[in-house]
Amino acid sequence: MTETKTQEAGKTRKHLVSAASSSVMIEFTQVNKWYDDFHVLKNIDLTVHQGERIVVCGPSGSGKSTLIRCINHLEEHQSGSIVVDGITLNRNLKNIDYIRTEVGMVFQNFNLFPHLTILENLCLGPIWARKISRADAEDVAMKYLERVKIPEQAEKYPEQLSGGQQQRVAIARSLCMNPKIMLFDEPTSALDPEMIKEVLEVMIELADTGMTMVVVTHEMGFAQIVADRVILMDKGEIVEENEPVAFFNNPQHERTKMFLSQIL
Amino acid sequence: MTIIKPVESPTVTAPLSKNSALRWVRKNLFNSVFNTVLTFVMLYFVYVAGKGMWSWGITDAVWIADTRRECFAISIDGACWAGVYAWFDNIFYGRYPREELWRINLGLVCLVIWMVPLWLPRVKAKISIGMTTVFLYPFLAGYLFSGGAKGVFMQFMVTAAIVCLLVNTLHAIVGVCSGRSLLEFIVTLFGKKNASSKRGRNILVGLFAIIFVVIYIWQMNWTVERIPWTKWGGLFLTLVISGIGIAMALPSGILLALGRRSNLTIVRVFSTTFIELFRSVPVITVLFMATTMFPLFMPQGFVLNKLVQVIIAVCMFNAAYMAETVRGGLQTIPKRQFEAAHTIGLGYWQTMGLIIMPQALKHMIPNIVGNFITLLKDTTLVSIIGLFDVLGMLRSISKDSPWLGLHKEPLVFGAFLFFVICFAMSKYSRHLEVKLSTSHKK
Repeated sequence: MTETKTQEAGKTRKHLVSAASSSVMIEFTQVNKWYDDFHVLKNIDLTVHQGERIVVCGPSGSGKSTLIRCINHLEEHQSGSIVVDGITLNRNLKNIDYIRTEVGMVFQNFNLFPHLTILENLCLGPIWARKISRADAEDVAMKYLERVKIPEQAEKYPEQLSGGQQQRVAIARSLCMNPKIMLFDEPTSALDPEMIKEVLEVMIELADTGMTMVVVTHEMGFAQIVADRVILMDKGEIVEENEPVAFFNNPQHERTKMFLSQIL
Repeated sequence: MTIIKPVESPTVTAPLSKNSALRWVRKNLFNSVFNTVLTFVMLYFVYVAGKGMWSWGITDAVWIADTRRECFAISIDGACWAGVYAWFDNIFYGRYPREELWRINLGLVCLVIWMVPLWLPRVKAKISIGMTTVFLYPFLAGYLFSGGAKGVFMQFMVTAAIVCLLVNTLHAIVGVCSGRSLLEFIVTLFGKKNASSKRGRNILVGLFAIIFVVIYIWQMNWTVERIPWTKWGGLFLTLVISGIGIAMALPSGILLALGRRSNLTIVRVFSTTFIELFRSVPVITVLFMATTMFPLFMPQGFVLNKLVQVIIAVCMFNAAYMAETVRGGLQTIPKRQFEAAHTIGLGYWQTMGLIIMPQALKHMIPNIVGNFITLLKDTTLVSIIGLFDVLGMLRSISKDSPWLGLHKEPLVFGAFLFFVICFAMSKYSRHLEVKLSTSHKK
């Protein structure tokens, strides 16, 4: 049932991409990054167009999290250039603040604010960063809570929710900022198996709206359904980048073959 | 092997608590012969000490007498509380003129009125009430306590403080009665149910401006007699010094702690130096430095009074201590919370004020209140540099001719006084902790 639904969604999605493929949202050019002496990112070149869904996978320590954390400047790159939504990321704090309001991010450990209710968690960004009135922010927040299917939890605190619900709240919190790009850093890795599905469903629905998404995940099923391109990273490099069908059925690189044999 | 449970297990009520008092006593005090003996020996010691204290302090004590000699005549072994009682005004108010004591009491009452809304659950905008307590109340109290002619700035601040007190009180009353803020109340009062909040604000600002002008004109003719700080003393002085210290220590401690973690080198170096300097020097040294050496560094003719110097010293010292407490609290907040705040577009101050500090301060309550208690007790050190705080007053009883040599009773009374204040603070902190930690587990 869900299979057919998502396949249909896939078709409309492809249509959206071709319509919007002209504008570039994220562009990495020869990006390098080091943690002290450790070379985490090596000569990364990557272009993401508006409306594209990119899934990044790879063994742990391969630099995939670092890669997407560079997009909203949670990590600073040392050489090369990253352009997000037409703005070059450098030490200009104004640019960084702007980028962060336009780029939403969902973390492995949800990172909700434990001292605030769900509704307050959602309203914080719109009120303080977007300067929207509280009433409007609450309307928007409720709209997105309904979209992630937990409007009844609005007055609860994060710790009263299950992991899956918390992650859906985290997604809603990012969406409340009305971002142009959504980054997902292993959103399902900290969840129990039965909760992974509910989070993935929300992500698939989000993909259907035409959101630009960069997702670090090991959920290969998700990648097959949603991704426009799948990227394999290993030892700080992009080893292989291809459309999902080709990536999974006909991997070119030795390391991709090995990775897929381990994970599938 | 397959196991299938045929029926659901019934739920059973929990067994009776194993921690009943009798059980505890038997388990911990009389569980062996040796422990039983030990318990009885200790009970005997407690009895002897308690009996001694009881007969000295209560049964054999003298409550009404005019001199120490008279005390001795009535009971040679008992405490002479009459001496402490005769000095009550001095212990609480120092050498403040007796006919002006109402000013201190009024100041205290104002503080209580100012702070009560903070504890009322239905009142909104508690943060701004708290802020005005710290930043406006001192001007009102300062003028009440010291008096004299007011400069233009002082006139302005006193008026602002009075207006603020009125507004706060009104706001609190409205809040308790209707659960709304004063702004909402006034907007509906003027019959404009759906008036925009901007319009309501304009009405409110206009009203306050009128009240402000009225009070400003009134207070121009309101002066109270000047009382030099040298007359201040007793518990009053202790509370003034420690109160200002407490009010200033937390905000400046937070700023210093943030400064120490800052990415800006100058800010970080300054904060670190300040903190380490003041933390590695005993408080009494800081006090001596403030009163004897500080004037040497100042340009000639620039004279600050000793009390102000002492207060500055106490504030700086405690800011340094508080900074380390706050830094400890900040370290309990995982980096992920900062990142989450950044990703929804919050800037540095918003992240700190909305996300990090509220969580960190909650963890720090026991330490912060501990610092406050230490501060209050450390304030007694000012008696060494010649200020007659509560300890100084208690000690000068023994030099007063009718009560010559009366040392023990005043100090016991002082200990009792400090115990009451500090215990109340510590109890309140415990209450706060419980309240805040359960507030999101309803």
